[in-house]
Amino acid sequence: MGKAARREARERLKQQRLKEQQKAKRNRVLLVVGAAVVVVALVVAVGYFVVMRDRGGGDVELPPQALQTDGSVVLADSGADAPVLEIYADYQCPACKQFETATGSAIQEMAAAGEVIVHYRPVSIFALRGEPLGSNSLRGGAAARAAADAGKFVEYNDVLFENQPAEGSAGFSPDELKQWGEDIGIDDPAFAERVDAESEVADRFAQDYAPELLEKAQGELGADSISTMPVTDLIAWGDENGVDSSFLDDTYVLEILEATGAVNERYDGENAFAGTPSVYLNGAKMGNEMYSASSLRSAVAEAEPGEPQSTPAEDTDTGADGEGAGGDAGASPSPSTSPSADAKE
Amino acid sequence: MNTGPTEQNTASGRPDGGEAPDPAPSGETGGAPAPPWKARLAAAQPWATLVCRVALAGILAFAAYTKLPPALSIQSVEAYQLFPSGVAEFIGITLPMVEFALALLLLLGLATRYVAAATGLLMLVFIAGIASAWARGLTIDCGCFGTGGAVAPGETAYGLDIARDIGFAALAGIVMLWPRSPLSLDRLAGLYR
Repeated sequence: MGKAARREARERLKQQRLKEQQKAKRNRVLLVVGAAVVVVALVVAVGYFVVMRDRGGGDVELPPQALQTDGSVVLADSGADAPVLEIYADYQCPACKQFETATGSAIQEMAAAGEVIVHYRPVSIFALRGEPLGSNSLRGGAAARAAADAGKFVEYNDVLFENQPAEGSAGFSPDELKQWGEDIGIDDPAFAERVDAESEVADRFAQDYAPELLEKAQGELGADSISTMPVTDLIAWGDENGVDSSFLDDTYVLEILEATGAVNERYDGENAFAGTPSVYLNGAKMGNEMYSASSLRSAVAEAEPGEPQSTPAEDTDTGADGEGAGGDAGASPSPSTSPSADAKE
Repeated sequence: MNTGPTEQNTASGRPDGGEAPDPAPSGETGGAPAPPWKARLAAAQPWATLVCRVALAGILAFAAYTKLPPALSIQSVEAYQLFPSGVAEFIGITLPMVEFALALLLLLGLATRYVAAATGLLMLVFIAGIASAWARGLTIDCGCFGTGGAVAPGETAYGLDIARDIGFAALAGIVMLWPRSPLSLDRLAGLYR
């Protein structure tokens, strides 16, 4: 056997060993990468499952919903002796939509089971933001109020959030608003008429009135004081300074603006209203735990029974068991009662 | 990546063909001695990589934590107006979890090179997203840490956000190019020793 042949054999062996080592390394890399992929997949899958399960869902047989004199709506099982969950939301506010998506079903289930009294209080924090933000917000809010006349506020509330326009895009057109009403079974022609009328008022507010008011106020009050001023105060200032707001009289647009002004007076200190969505459990403002259905459920379960701070618009079989419910306000059935009358907390 | 022929070499040599000799102070020093600064650099590299690994893990874990609750994370994604709402919802829910998983893997040092590559890629995607929001004239908070959404026109910080993400991508790049570091599961598996 020649030297050359031996060298060749050695070389071949070496090559083979090298190949095996490379293969072993490749296998080790595949092993760790595979393990890493499994870890990522596990974490994501478990997390996704937990979030989706937390939401719950499914159709709930809704308990009675009672319109209040200030245009808000109380959803409660008749005779429910339960904590009060107040929900302040703007139909154009994206975080409100996410709150609704994450907890809406759970809240309705709790209400149906008599575990909570839900007080829906739509507001418009975007009212003065012009087109399309402000007009979307006001059109949506006013239409929800019209749906409350038909006894379908809660259903309509859900539909509005499902179809919320992207921030900065036009949406909630009168035709859509009317169609969604039909979809959930509002067949009273008064609803469609009201939606059309209110949409015109909302558009006028956002296109003409708000810019004029803001321009005038900016010149005389300064931008800083305007930004902290409740919208109703600004409107009142406008009336005294030549910006006429009478086109708002007796409209649901005004009602939602008044609801927005009222919440600023209703709460202060650590409970102060600072944007939507704001959720109060028996008058105490909730933190980020409100975005999880399960933590919201446990907070409600631990809370004492309460009374909604408002007056039913008329005698209905509402969950508030009547005794002293919002006895602080004149129980006028007029829909345009002063919302500050129920500032009690 | 053609790496050294022996297991020791496989582990010690830069897997991407770096010419640095075995940085272990002891052991055979076959071949020409490297300049001292090079040896010192090679000795420091695993510790530098460890620092980058842990820093990146901390950044990702913090980013994931501050994105919660998922409802607000979804809102941050929707604010970019790039995806249909179903997709935005899926991203919003899973993104914090992906970040958390990457943080965990970086901390453990499992598949270090590939996890760092994925992290770097994620940063590039973030940068593209922020740049697109900027270019389209949206006024949003990037939702990188904490929850995003619309902000007043004067309150955007796109340039800063992008610069920061470039920094994070650089950290990821270092770990990807020099994955060898102490205290890693990869070592137990016989990689990057």
